[in-house]
Amino acid sequence: MAPVPMPSALTFELLAKCSVTKARAATLHLPHGPVPLPIFMPVATQASLKGLTPDQLADTGCRLCLNNTYHLGLKPGQATLEAVGGAHKLQAWPHNILTADSTGSFQMVSLLKLAQVTEEGVRFLSPHDGTPMLLTPEHSISLQNTIGSDIIMQLDDVIATTSPDHARMLEAMQRSVRWLDRCIDAHAHPERQNLFCIIQGGLDLELRRQCTAEMVARDTPGIAIGGLSGGEAKDAYCRVVDTCTGLLPEKKPRYVMGVGYPEDLVVSVALGADMFDCVWPTRTARFGNAITAHGVLNLRNATYATDFRAIEPGCQCPCCRPADAKPPGLGLTRAYIYHVTAKETAGAHLLTMHNVHYQLDLMRRARDAILQDRYPAFVREFFAALYAGDRGKYPEWAVVALRGVGVDLLRE
Amino acid sequence: MTQPARLDQLPPEMLDFALLKTTGTLAARLGRLSLPGRSNILTPAFLGNTSRGVLPHISPDNFRKLVELEGVYMALEDFVEKHPQKTPPILQFDVPDPLRRFVALPKDTLVVLGARRQPPIATPMSNTNAEVTLSTSVGFRSISSEYYTAAVRKLQPDIVVGLADIPYGQESIGLKRKDKMSDRTESWLRDLIAKRASIEQGDPRFSIFAPILPIDRDLQSWYLEHLVDDMVDQISGVAIYDAYLLDDLPDELHALPRLSCHMPASPQELLRQISLGMDLFTIPFISSATDAGISLDFTFPAPQSAESDSTPRRSLGVDMWLAEHAVAVTPLTEGCACYACTQHHRAYIQHLLSAKEMLGWLLLQLHNHAVLSSFFAGVRASIAAGTFDADVAAFEAFYEPALPAKTGQGPRVRGYQFQSADHGHAARKNPKAFRSLDELAKLKAMHGQQPNRKPQMQDVIDDEALVGLVQMEGVDPAVQLESLKVEDADGDDKA
Ligand SMILES: [Zn+2]
Ligand SMILES: [Zn+2]
Repeated sequence: MAPVPMPSALTFELLAKCSVTKARAATLHLPHGPVPLPIFMPVATQASLKGLTPDQLADTGCRLCLNNTYHLGLKPGQATLEAVGGAHKLQAWPHNILTADSTGSFQMVSLLKLAQVTEEGVRFLSPHDGTPMLLTPEHSISLQNTIGSDIIMQLDDVIATTSPDHARMLEAMQRSVRWLDRCIDAHAHPERQNLFCIIQGGLDLELRRQCTAEMVARDTPGIAIGGLSGGEAKDAYCRVVDTCTGLLPEKKPRYVMGVGYPEDLVVSVALGADMFDCVWPTRTARFGNAITAHGVLNLRNATYATDFRAIEPGCQCPCCRPADAKPPGLGLTRAYIYHVTAKETAGAHLLTMHNVHYQLDLMRRARDAILQDRYPAFVREFFAALYAGDRGKYPEWAVVALRGVGVDLLRE
Repeated sequence: MTQPARLDQLPPEMLDFALLKTTGTLAARLGRLSLPGRSNILTPAFLGNTSRGVLPHISPDNFRKLVELEGVYMALEDFVEKHPQKTPPILQFDVPDPLRRFVALPKDTLVVLGARRQPPIATPMSNTNAEVTLSTSVGFRSISSEYYTAAVRKLQPDIVVGLADIPYGQESIGLKRKDKMSDRTESWLRDLIAKRASIEQGDPRFSIFAPILPIDRDLQSWYLEHLVDDMVDQISGVAIYDAYLLDDLPDELHALPRLSCHMPASPQELLRQISLGMDLFTIPFISSATDAGISLDFTFPAPQSAESDSTPRRSLGVDMWLAEHAVAVTPLTEGCACYACTQHHRAYIQHLLSAKEMLGWLLLQLHNHAVLSSFFAGVRASIAAGTFDADVAAFEAFYEPALPAKTGQGPRVRGYQFQSADHGHAARKNPKAFRSLDELAKLKAMHGQQPNRKPQMQDVIDDEALVGLVQMEGVDPAVQLESLKVEDADGDDKA
């Protein structure tokens, strides 16, 4: 039995649909301001993004970032969050926050053999002192209500998509639906926080269809596709996203959790997804990796020691923008990043800024292309740049997935 | 600002230092250091003490937006690790003002370049007549005086500190060695002056600060005489390696600005040096406090204390690791105008330290620099008002004599950042990784996957945040990351 439709604290303003693919451009109006869709959301796991100030994060164009519910629940903890007045106040972030625990560490912890999932919730050992703890849908929502995030996520039962245990997969899917109902009941602030459901069902398209139908009936303000990015084959991933978006209402935001690499974003947008998050761009910055339109550069490689070009020439991020541009950038070179990366924390800050800017800008350009109804051309340009025009190198899964939505990368 | 783009290519005039107030030979003084195109520096003042060209934890964009510093100190040893096998990259950067451009320093920030970091790390090899030993991020290297002069000519800093022959880390220095110190230092200074003389009219020139060695006047008397007789017109300042020998400085050099290369361990030591007439400082204890999670908390003059003499002295800093700050929505220091204090609060900074998030160090670093900026403004006002000596006495009575000890764990310290023990700071290194069975068990107990082994999982897991979540004191975060051993979802552990 689906409960009464809940109030929504967002407006989804659909602006354009690609005439070929399933890509959409929209503006999502959230309690802390509008955000453009499609969008990449950087992951500030512990209420901080790898050394960046909130101002630096906002300067990359970010207006919606992630915090991790599970992490904030342990540190600083619900009592502190309550005392401080929520996560926006804690981190002095005036824009939107989405809290999730399915991606990243909670996914990890929930997958561990020592965590036990029962109908009641997830039982695990406290990382602080090893004492048993229980995370229930009610507790997760209460924590997110305290955090005060603009988008909150239901607690779901995640198992690895690669698991061969069909019965367990079915159980996890059905339990996620039941937990959604408990989350809806527990949600204290539906008028100012948007609860998103999370579609489960592994790589089994039939399970995904059933789950989608059940969850759409609950009429949450937004819908997430979860349980992916766990190392499954990319073609299987694309089939799941394609299947789910095909069944979702047009007027709601669709969030694919834990994705990803630039090519994943571009293909997933073509498959009708709107929102993405992943720690990769910021995590990889720590190892000196810079994301560019032509692939990832490892700037710790000695060949960059005397490379005095910008990290990515033409990039408009504060690091790459030339010093004589308007407004002036830092005009930093690859050689400088080589000089500081892994030696000074500021090196990681700089690459984090560049990488987050790259991901956000990629989605900005995708959105512009959709608005001009030239997304297929954008996708072609993107792959041509990434693989230096060598179509033989295009990944098979991307070619197949895009062909399924009317774009054949291998033909003009 | 009007088009400053070409300003740095104009022939800069010599550095000007105006003494605005002096009260005797060994007394605090006020001055103004000015150089066309750069911000004026009112002295006493401090320079940002950079590491690899960056103020630790502060990226160049934040330096521009959030830090009030008119000048920085940089060390050549931070840029020449490829020497001698390869030409260091910075020397191949073929643009005007390459050092400033490379590190993205604002045009109006004064750059002082020396050979060694402040404080320098003792080197195992001694200097020779021809070469000085440096400590780079990849080990010890020697450079010749000729190399040094060529490098500074290329890098175009505003001020160059002449090479000094100082055997760091040596307990006692023999008389013969001391003779050599002044001979070599003089000869290297002459090289530098000659190099600058060879710069063509119209090309950027640098100003020279002459080292004053940490040995008695008698032992460097020849050098000092020659400085006064032959070189005084060629030098624009002095770099003083032992503040307590300021007494020995020849009168003819008194009007020159004095850069302290004698690292103060506390604000009280800073004040002592200022009271002897020192003008410019680099202050390594700012960054050490930051790395220790200590928020500096002192003002000059000290607050008026209404309490009796029996009240305990106030601490110079607040240990932000302490759990008592966890719900404090108050600034680090009430009334502080820095970014950390105006935008954030103690609760967040305590959380960031405890979660091992880098932003904690940035915020503390901004605040700690702001505290010193206010301190120096207070010092200058006090000297101007003629109350300096009394204010110093009140400061010493009000505050504890040393910075609080560190309790929490700082960022990973790298070889080139180790500080030598002879500068008031105990040597700090990464504590030897202590991994008890208990700690490993804790780590293992909390993870269900193997991010180190399976690339796809690796990219979706914020393993750094996991380290922030687990309490493991005394273990290097890098070691923690390495030992983060987690099993695969499907039990596929190929360790
Ligand atoms: Zn960039
Ligand atoms: Zn402050």
